[in-house]
Amino acid sequence: MAIIEVDHLTKEYRLGALHSFKQTLLNATARFAGKPVAERPRFKALDDVSFQVEQGEVVGIIGHNGAGKSTLLKMLAGVTQPTSGSVRVDGRIAPLIEVGAGFVPDFTGRENVYLNGSILGLSKKEIDRKFDEIVDFAEMAQFIDTPVKRYSSGMQVKLAFAVATSIDAEILIVDEVLAVGDLAFQRKCFDRMEDLIKRRGKTVLLVSHNIRQIQRLCNRAIMLDKGRIYRDGNPEAVCTSFYAQSDEKISSAMSLTQARGLNTSGELELIGLRFIDRDGKPTDRISYGRDCVIRFTVKVLTGLDEVTFGFGFHTTDFLYLTTHNSEEQLRIAHLPAGDHFIECKIANLPILPGVYSLRFGVTAGTAARTVFYGENLLHFRIQGDIPITVRDGFFALDAHWAVASAEESPLSVVTMAQRLKSP
Amino acid sequence: MPVAAANLMRYRELMATLAWKNIALRYKQAYLGIAWAVLKPVSLMLIFTLVKSFVGIKSGSIPYPILTFAALMPWTFFQESASDGVNSVVGNTALIKKIYFPREIFPITAVLTKLVELGINFIILAGMMAWYEMVPGIYILWVPVIIAYTVLTTLTVAFAGAAVNVYYRDVGQALPVLLSLLMYASPVIYPLELVKEKLLVHQAAGDWSHALYTLYTLNPLAGIIDAFQNVVLRNQPPDIGSMLPGLVTIAVLLPASYLYFKRAESYFADVI
Repeated sequence: MAIIEVDHLTKEYRLGALHSFKQTLLNATARFAGKPVAERPRFKALDDVSFQVEQGEVVGIIGHNGAGKSTLLKMLAGVTQPTSGSVRVDGRIAPLIEVGAGFVPDFTGRENVYLNGSILGLSKKEIDRKFDEIVDFAEMAQFIDTPVKRYSSGMQVKLAFAVATSIDAEILIVDEVLAVGDLAFQRKCFDRMEDLIKRRGKTVLLVSHNIRQIQRLCNRAIMLDKGRIYRDGNPEAVCTSFYAQSDEKISSAMSLTQARGLNTSGELELIGLRFIDRDGKPTDRISYGRDCVIRFTVKVLTGLDEVTFGFGFHTTDFLYLTTHNSEEQLRIAHLPAGDHFIECKIANLPILPGVYSLRFGVTAGTAARTVFYGENLLHFRIQGDIPITVRDGFFALDAHWAVASAEESPLSVVTMAQRLKSP
Repeated sequence: MPVAAANLMRYRELMATLAWKNIALRYKQAYLGIAWAVLKPVSLMLIFTLVKSFVGIKSGSIPYPILTFAALMPWTFFQESASDGVNSVVGNTALIKKIYFPREIFPITAVLTKLVELGINFIILAGMMAWYEMVPGIYILWVPVIIAYTVLTTLTVAFAGAAVNVYYRDVGQALPVLLSLLMYASPVIYPLELVKEKLLVHQAAGDWSHALYTLYTLNPLAGIIDAFQNVVLRNQPPDIGSMLPGLVTIAVLLPASYLYFKRAESYFADVI
């Protein structure tokens, strides 16, 4: 028996501003007189969505901004009503949507725990019973009688999360809440979620842009796109197609546009940045496992001494993958003013297929001051097939398996040789 | 309606907590604290007493200050809880957009919160009665009934007002003006007896006098204030005749107001 049943759910919003009172009256008169009324255009936030969730399932909901994720959660939480179709939820729902929505700044932590608890549907007795546990979890014992307006934002979120997850609901709805507090607390939140999910068998709906989190926690994923279910099933498969779509989106906007953290001293400009093929012609085709060459074109405005170049790859969500600099291989005592081409050749590119971005920096002088640094300078796609031995990640290891004889120490049963050494 | 009652039972703890929140919040950083609750009726009473010394309003056997204070108690309660109730939904936007519980909890809680302040005013009233050496009689047992009726009157305004206010904030702006006008159309400064005397005894408006009196008492506050003064100060039962038109008004409008609110509530989160 499904615990959540969503049946042909559609939610329409009207675009544009709310009519003025005058317009409403005019429209009402026109309708009364049988004349047509100018309707505001409609927008389908959710379009004929149907699915069922069984008891104990942990469902991740992913999709780009505006795909309808939050609308869906709001509908499940009963905050807003569908335009057509139906939602049936069988059990108590704890909405962890934007924790701390009900916090009152003038109240102390203690008062807010009681207030927020009862807003989320706990009785006073239940809160009494759980109070110490909540405060303990939030690490707030010292500050519990201080008004919340004096808390740091991290402290507020910690307390709110502790209250929200103390509810004994059959269904948890979680919207981007795991990104709270410092790293240690995030870890704690994650563990608590895992505990709720894996050991207590709660049904969980989790919305997150952190796809790695979804892959780790969920046993099913639903990808929404423009208000429709684009894919539904195994999280690995769904997340892969989400990545594929993201990459598509990013590479279609591929350009030097959104350079980030651009920092230049004015002595040097980056005027060109290309991958080039064997014949020295620019190319967009970079293949996994093959050699490739990056060419940087720089315009030096005033002569520079002791110049070092460096570049790195990062994912489109700024996970730094690797860097390399010219320090040991290229000694440039003096670089005169003018245009210069610098090339770097990468052998057997070990980065797995996908869309990545490039950062680039130049330092000069004996103190290695930065004369140029920029991130997200060039989006590029690495093509090729992921080898069967590599399930996921970003790099391929040049690794070899063997069964060794029993006399040898157990540590050497598997020998690995990393190929990611510098050229 | 049975659903509404069941909801009230189910969410009574939440309503209590929210009411506690409203009260605590209002007086949290105020030095005089809850004493502010009596400021409005007491100061209005003093002003009216001053005005009365110029224009002369007959107050019968009851001293004017206590008569007008007894009128100001239900009136201030009505006025403040109606305007808080109307603004209660818009004022809780953050909650409305995140969590579902029956939305009528907001206006109801706003009105219930004001009951606490009304309770504090009873202390002042008791003090004044002691000063004027007045002893309440058996009819004071009517007080809870009259207050319950006042709460229903307030909710009639609060439900519809709160729902419309989500769409048109004009309501929140217009209400204080309308309410202060309504005060002059209610027997707050003058006792109802004066109106009755003019219209029913002197037939001041000729043939229309009876109709005009009925029109006047269609305002439930007329009956409420008069009944309150009767049972507390005059030791008389409420005058059912002057309450009846108001009771009819509420019996018709309260269900309509509530049903409108319930119909509108499913769109609150989309529109607010």
